[in-house]
Amino acid sequence: MHEASIMQSVFEIALGKLEGSGYERVDSISLRIGRATGVVSDALKFAFEALKPGTPFYGAALVIDEVPVGGVCLSCGEDFSTDERFVFQCPACAGSRLDITRGRELDLTGMEVS
Amino acid sequence: MKVNIVTRILEANERLAEQNKALFKESGVFVLNIMSSPGAGKTTFIEATIKALEARGLRVAVIEGDIQGTSDAERIGALGVPVVQINTGGACHLDANMVREALPDLPLAGIGLLIIENVGNLVCPAEFNVGEDAKVMLLSIAEGDDKPLKYPLMFQESRALIINKMDLKPYLDVDVGKIRKDSLSLNPSLNIFEVSARNGDGIGQWVEWLAGYIDKNS
Ligand SMILES: Nc1nc2c(ncn2[C@@H]2O[C@H](COP(=O)(O)OP(=O)(O)OP(=O)(O)O)[C@@H](O)[C@H]2O)c(=O)[nH]1
Ligand SMILES: [Mg+2]
Ligand SMILES: [Zn+2]
Ligand SMILES: [Zn+2]
Repeated sequence: MHEASIMQSVFEIALGKLEGSGYERVDSISLRIGRATGVVSDALKFAFEALKPGTPFYGAALVIDEVPVGGVCLSCGEDFSTDERFVFQCPACAGSRLDITRGRELDLTGMEVS
Repeated sequence: MKVNIVTRILEANERLAEQNKALFKESGVFVLNIMSSPGAGKTTFIEATIKALEARGLRVAVIEGDIQGTSDAERIGALGVPVVQINTGGACHLDANMVREALPDLPLAGIGLLIIENVGNLVCPAEFNVGEDAKVMLLSIAEGDDKPLKYPLMFQESRALIINKMDLKPYLDVDVGKIRKDSLSLNPSLNIFEVSARNGDGIGQWVEWLAGYIDKNS
């Protein structure tokens, strides 16, 4: 939904890192995006292509690591992952006390500069 | 050269949200962030809430977030309440910076509660904190009873769920029990209120809870 503003923030953070580094261009940007955030990778890529002309990112590639929603069941200890955007029940014991630890990521994890 | 950086992309927003929050604390203002899909009844609900709260002597101000237009702010202004309209110019949610820029136009010192009406959208307002004390999700029964499971994040992040347009229940085949059950399975500590912002049903209970919640948390 707001992938363009997410990408704008990515550019701002990355520009901050580039400045004063002695390098001029960004060759790649890596993101980690949790599935529970509702942020759509294709829309991020579209925003990236739209925003990069005329910036130090013009030749850069975008690498997105999508993280499935997952966590630990507090009843049976099962460590689970799911393709859904949310889990209600432990897939092993159907327990509902879950500690959801993955899927909310919205991180810039690395960049290559030259 | 490879640069390894792990930075939360919304870090800048989080930082500004913390600053807003500190300013609100300092001014003794409790802040609600009201989220719903377009037309679910946020502005009507805020109008009803203001009327009920003023009767209790709580001074309220409002920030209206809309993609464009000032009609919501005009409705609130007609109640004699300080109001600032934010036009996001296309952005589908309010962020902490937009709220920060609106604050100089509000008399924070004179008010006890600031209600922020977010842009109508069921997806992303939940992702952007603006410095609020509590998020409140509003769902009208006309939208159907499948919404909690389709848009889980908003329900998970909220302190209270307002189920609005209850006056339309006789005309709809919506299962309000399912809305309650699914919302609670997403967020067991959610406080749920069934209201009609149009005719005022349920507003008394909501305002009672809100006043208690403000007392406890400020
Ligand atoms: N029947 C009925 N109609 C309502 C109720 N609450 C709001 N409405 C109507 O729903 C329509 C939309 O209400 P608004 O309060 O403008 O909704 P909103 O969520 O602020 O809309 P946006 O700001 O555009 O996203 C209006 O025609 C209201 O009169 C209610 O409890 N019952
Ligand atoms: Mg409105
Ligand atoms: Zn958005
Ligand atoms: Zn289990």
